[in-house]
Amino acid sequence: MDKITGLTRRSALALAASFTVFPLLGLSGTAQAAPVRGGKLVFGRYADSQFLDPVLNDANVDIWVMTNLYDTLLQPTKDGLGVQAGLATKWDLQDGGKTVMLTLREGVKFADGTPLQASDVKWSLDRCRAPKNGPWTDLVASITAVEIVSPTSIKVSLKVPDPSILAALATFNTAILPQKLFEAAPGATEDEKAKAYAEKPVGTGPFLLAEWKRGVSMKLVRNKYYWKQGEDGQALPYVDELEFQIIPDDSTRLLKLKAGELQGTEFVPYTRVKELQADPNLRMELWPSTRVAYLTMNCREKLKDGTANPLGNVKVRQALNYAVNKDALIAIVTQGLGVPMTSFMSRTTPLHYKQELYKHDIAKAKALLVEAGFPNGFETSSLMVAGNQDGLNILTTVQQMWAAIGVKLKIEPVDNATLTKRYRADDFSMRTAAWTNDIADPGQITSYFAYFPNIASLHSGWQDKKLDAIYLASQEEVDPAKRAAQYKEIQEIYAASAPILFLYETPYPVVFRKNVTGFVQIPLGNNMFESAAVAK
Amino acid sequence: MNRGAWLLGRLAQIVPSFLAIGLAVFVLARLLPGDPVSAVLGDRASDATIARLTAQLGLDRSIPVQLWGFLAGVMRGEFGESIAYRVPVTRLIAERLPATLMLTGLAALIAVVAAVPLAFIAALRADRWPDLLIRSVFQVGLSTPIFYVGLLLLTVFAAWLHLFPVGGYGEGLGEHLWHLFLPACTLAFSFAAVLMRSLRGAILQVLTAEFVDFARAKGLRSQVILGRHVLRNALIATVTLVGLHVGSLLGGAVITESVFAVPGVGRLMVESIFARDYPVIQALTLVLAVLVSLAFLVTDIVQMWLDPRVGR
Amino acid sequence: MRAKLPLIAGCSLLSVMVTAALVPGWFMPHDPLAFDFAALLAPPSPEHIFGTDQFGRDILSRTIAAARIDLQIAVFAMGGPLIIGTLIGLLVGWFGGVADAVFGRLADLVITFPFLVLVIAVVAILGPGLINMYIAVACVGWVVYARLMRGEVRVQKAADYVAAGRVLGYSTSRILFRHVLPNAIRPVLVYAVTDMALAILLGSSLGYVGLGAQPPEAEWGVLIADGRNFFTTAPWISLAPGVAIVLAGLGFSLTGDGLAALLDVKR
Repeated sequence: MDKITGLTRRSALALAASFTVFPLLGLSGTAQAAPVRGGKLVFGRYADSQFLDPVLNDANVDIWVMTNLYDTLLQPTKDGLGVQAGLATKWDLQDGGKTVMLTLREGVKFADGTPLQASDVKWSLDRCRAPKNGPWTDLVASITAVEIVSPTSIKVSLKVPDPSILAALATFNTAILPQKLFEAAPGATEDEKAKAYAEKPVGTGPFLLAEWKRGVSMKLVRNKYYWKQGEDGQALPYVDELEFQIIPDDSTRLLKLKAGELQGTEFVPYTRVKELQADPNLRMELWPSTRVAYLTMNCREKLKDGTANPLGNVKVRQALNYAVNKDALIAIVTQGLGVPMTSFMSRTTPLHYKQELYKHDIAKAKALLVEAGFPNGFETSSLMVAGNQDGLNILTTVQQMWAAIGVKLKIEPVDNATLTKRYRADDFSMRTAAWTNDIADPGQITSYFAYFPNIASLHSGWQDKKLDAIYLASQEEVDPAKRAAQYKEIQEIYAASAPILFLYETPYPVVFRKNVTGFVQIPLGNNMFESAAVAK
Repeated sequence: MNRGAWLLGRLAQIVPSFLAIGLAVFVLARLLPGDPVSAVLGDRASDATIARLTAQLGLDRSIPVQLWGFLAGVMRGEFGESIAYRVPVTRLIAERLPATLMLTGLAALIAVVAAVPLAFIAALRADRWPDLLIRSVFQVGLSTPIFYVGLLLLTVFAAWLHLFPVGGYGEGLGEHLWHLFLPACTLAFSFAAVLMRSLRGAILQVLTAEFVDFARAKGLRSQVILGRHVLRNALIATVTLVGLHVGSLLGGAVITESVFAVPGVGRLMVESIFARDYPVIQALTLVLAVLVSLAFLVTDIVQMWLDPRVGR
Repeated sequence: MRAKLPLIAGCSLLSVMVTAALVPGWFMPHDPLAFDFAALLAPPSPEHIFGTDQFGRDILSRTIAAARIDLQIAVFAMGGPLIIGTLIGLLVGWFGGVADAVFGRLADLVITFPFLVLVIAVVAILGPGLINMYIAVACVGWVVYARLMRGEVRVQKAADYVAAGRVLGYSTSRILFRHVLPNAIRPVLVYAVTDMALAILLGSSLGYVGLGAQPPEAEWGVLIADGRNFFTTAPWISLAPGVAIVLAGLGFSLTGDGLAALLDVKR
């Protein structure tokens, strides 16, 4: 526990030092007077949710709003690095990190008024770790048993000491659901029940889903039983109603905000940020994020079609990294809002280790290409999602920059489903990509980016056996200092071999009308509306 | 009697057409690269998760079995469930269809109201300045990308002048119409241009036709000629054109609905194509085909009623 | 003379564009692909008459460079349907019978699909890009030409010269291709000219959903679509390509009108 808070503080300092470009709005507590109660907040989203089951969902559009409906035993802190009390008020690591004892908060009710019971907790944790249940089971794979010690006490036993277990208990997939209600949902199989239940989910979160028109709008109403208190000493949330409207077109969404038809909206295009910052009726918020943007490279000796792949050569990948002027690219693509990546994980990820990665150096890039046997460059290609403006801007810029070292980049836009198919089949040279963490721990991103056995390091085929071994050891290392040293080595090995083209990190751009306060988006992306209020 | 038989014949042709369309769209959807499951689950999902959902959706069955399932479902009036949204397709379409119908209907109305009188003025003053002016304005309409017209109208009339809401759909008929006015104008702009051009041509043709000369020779006053002959012929031409363009209006609705955030089926269709949401693509295509066929049928009936020569 | 005015105006507009497409170097003040980091999103100035985009590329030069792509779209997106449609229309109009009945059904089927949706679906199947867009348009667009042609051929079939040709013992193919085709094709050609303007617009609609001409091929519709994120901050990005697209449309439709008058086609 102590060690974890110590870790949090250290990382928080690093965060503050590295992120001076992002104004940390909202963290300092802008509102002096207690927020106004009541009213309705209409928030514009770029895409609708698909499936509001914490365990079986798959996409950020679900994850990022789910915290408003469900609670986890622990909750991520606002800076996204540590944990704080949630449905559990106390937590204790025992037995050398192989047991977690949790004390449940008393008097918590689900949004339908039924009380939260220890059996709901056991059932929910057992469900989320059942191996057949979806893509998130890895996050809780270390749990071997969940026992009810007393009506307010839960014991979680682990196979091995798991340094990420507390973060896992604060991650969306371990949300607590009402067992009885779930089992009463229509359907013969558990999957059918999950689908029926997710139609009208009931959790202990600040809001309750009232109406959902797929792809159009989602209406949430205040959960009158919510346990958390506001600044005025009464139960949160402040607003009576929260409505999400789905408006995919960026320009339309912003026009609607300016006309006052929306009180806030997400995913502001970088090109619009300055303009909105200057608008006296609006407040532009740039939330620190775990989002990194990069190009995934196929690092195999041969491509899917059997042709030789220059990117299989580490020197070529290094040359491509040296040839890109990150500052210029960031100025063009993000209008200066981003910062260059300093590791494959963002600065906001615990145990991030900062390195200066491939400072723009054409001479070095050319020399590396000569060493690699490509003095005249070569031709390569990159997939992107057709119509994605950031992707197009990145590739157009990179194309121009690589031309200086004789590398000809062919831009291959395809629609999203085609890209996913070719990516999964390892049938690509490069592709545009972005990543956000789902858990406040470096383990997840590393298992996808660097640890080969999971998904062949982002389907790149890149493998470093030593790194794989360090990663496995780090998954059981409870000493923060030792784990930090392991992660330093992992990040150094990865950076040196450059399986990706390192680009930039960007904050989450969210904009509100001036009279809206209290919204929080944590680095993991979760949109928190529990403390949001609309002044008259 | 003759006409009744003709109508029955038309109706009888519709059923096999729909079977053919159903077959065509089933094949077309499966020709799309990628599959709905990995499109929904994305990059990160494990192979096991993908296999599980594929089996759950019955997409691991052979194509003929799937086709049979689809056709049998259609016969029973069942279209299955959306893969992306996990709700019945019929519900999804029922939620979205009214907006599109209202949008295209309003657009057609606006286009007719704007184009018909202007076409008359242009035709009666052919090649003089009112004609040139009208034609130039509509030419701009015909050559401006539809999303740009939409964005312009939104910025000027909604964001600056606050005369209309910025997109959306509202609740209740009155609000729907109010919300849909700008998008309908956008959609109507290019259609009005097409209508105006063709109508102007049709009127010019009638004006120079032999029967008008004949009527003049009979000593009928020009207003009477205009009213009785030209107007009716122009009306027939208008009805024909509106009917013929229902398809392209629905197509234009795809873009308009995106720009104006109108929750219609056009947007749903494109989203479903991108998401490989087979059940939605199939059902929606059939629904749109029914609508267009109905429009053709109504056109034919109105034509028959206006012009006794049609219908053999 | 008055009737020829539109034709002259339309043809002059188009010839300017064709010249720009053939020798863009004469007109372009800058390299359309060159970045200028000192002038990102620069407003119109003597140096950049129509301003620059987010890469500092000169908008005017890009618009001129795009003329080649757009005229190519106009020609090919019209040409495929024109050739296929005309041939089918000629044959079914002449021979009638079962082929004609099948054609009628098929044509009904194709136009029952909303045009843009079908094109989007076909482009999604084949992948975005110009050639696939032509294929998609050809899949759908032939029907209109075939219908026009069929109607015209049926009228011509009854004409005196056809009977005369038969009496003289000409082969069917000679009558069809040497006599009927040239007589029946006039309305088709007139329609084709206006259709070219619509093809360019279709390109821009596909650009909006991300399936239009793909980089580095700049195309007017895509240039306009790219500018929509800068609609409030740098509206000049869409101005030059917008003007170009309207002028091209004007050129095609004036030429079409002029041709119709010249060839005495009833519209």
